[in-house]
Amino acid sequence: MLNYIWLSLIVIGILVAVLSDWWDISTNKYQNGEISTVSIRLSNNPTIPLDKSKKYPCTLIYSEELGIIQNAELLVGNEHSGVLHISVDENTPPLWREIFKAQKNNNYLLAHVKWESISGLKFPATMTFDPVKFVKLNKVTNEGIIKYAKIAVELAIGLIGIMALWLGIMKIAEQSGLVAKLAGMLKPITTRLFPDVPADHPAMGAMIMNISANMLGLANAATPLGLKAMEELNKLNKKIGTATDAMCTFLVINTSNVQLIPATVIAIRAASGSVNPTEILGLVIVATAISTVVGVITVKLMARLRIFKRQLS
Amino acid sequence: MLTMELLINIISTLSIIAIPALIFFIVIYGTIKKVKIYEAFVEGAKEGFNVGVRIIPYLVAMLVAIGIFRAGGAMEILAFVLSPITNLIGMPAEALPMAMMRPLSGSGALGVMSEIINTHGADSLIGRMVSVMMGSGETTFYVLAIYFGSVSIQKTRQAVPAGIIADIVGILMSVWLVNLIFG
Repeated sequence: MLNYIWLSLIVIGILVAVLSDWWDISTNKYQNGEISTVSIRLSNNPTIPLDKSKKYPCTLIYSEELGIIQNAELLVGNEHSGVLHISVDENTPPLWREIFKAQKNNNYLLAHVKWESISGLKFPATMTFDPVKFVKLNKVTNEGIIKYAKIAVELAIGLIGIMALWLGIMKIAEQSGLVAKLAGMLKPITTRLFPDVPADHPAMGAMIMNISANMLGLANAATPLGLKAMEELNKLNKKIGTATDAMCTFLVINTSNVQLIPATVIAIRAASGSVNPTEILGLVIVATAISTVVGVITVKLMARLRIFKRQLS
Repeated sequence: MLTMELLINIISTLSIIAIPALIFFIVIYGTIKKVKIYEAFVEGAKEGFNVGVRIIPYLVAMLVAIGIFRAGGAMEILAFVLSPITNLIGMPAEALPMAMMRPLSGSGALGVMSEIINTHGADSLIGRMVSVMMGSGETTFYVLAIYFGSVSIQKTRQAVPAGIIADIVGILMSVWLVNLIFG
């Protein structure tokens, strides 16, 4: 199942990117190669011919009616052409902004300009933007693939410290018999949820603590305790590499977990001026309670299906 | 609504004191039971590094696939395709990206939620709806990747379909409840 989801995320993601890039190219969204007539007004009186090594501050006048007038810098290439570094500000037209983002020069929008002759401060010229292609595919590469591969490792490394802390604390709780005691207390519920896990097994204690931490919204404690529970459950696993029924049930309880305090949501609502930021609390509890119950029933019923049973033997 | 406020107070206080109180209690209890607490802690904590490293390949696989899906713009297309169905159940079209983002990426979903609340207001119907979705959902695929990854499990059996069904039920309940109470 995870195979198919993985496959479809990647295939759909890339195909959509290719299609939308193809659409952009065929409609020439980014005006690649389109020539427009503009005026350039230099800020200071130039010495003619213009110096090739200097940057000339200037104003680009694209359309006075539309108010598209931008500050820029002119880099002179030869007598009749050069490159314009246009600074992007709040008056920049939306399409130009998109071209600017796609060009990936962090500071300016790049355009090529040609002119016949420069006689004074202001002179007419023709302008073409630096061509932009494959915007989405570029985004897939840089923001999808490379960035997320990095985030994945940062997340995992970030987990090590808090993981070590809770695994250490759990070890103390285990050796002092606290985990077994806790598991004993909740035996009537847990033995029904996880019939193939012995009631006094350390996995029970870890699962109970993980679920409690989740309910209180303590993500920092919940994940290490959950991973500890998985490790203990795996000790009962007869087929390494394949999930047991107990693991599946535990996972579903975890992903549909009952939330008593969705702290982040309340904080955002309060910050954006809600009259009653906590009014959604009751609904969240009811919604998660129902989804947990449905999830547990589903996972239990599915465990009886032959396709899933077969994988265990 | 005095009792509601009291309840919220109790729960939020509990979530602040829970971790220090738990550590305090476990350490004291261990000492009473004559456990060598420092040695036990270090012995347990040693595993932390291994677990962190063990989940890396699973996390990379999952997050990169999600990253490709998001960056390519597939979410917007899918929202457009599915909008006739969501209209039927009373879910506004703008809320659909939220429903799809929630199981994939926590930060992504938070971004979608903030954007909707900023445009429509926190106390609008859709603002409330995405709030409930955010609170009642979980980053299912992240949890699946690290939990199964930590014990090197590739065959996940019924966990994925049941998890997705639970997610869908959570979303449908959020839509239905918000429409029922605030609609």
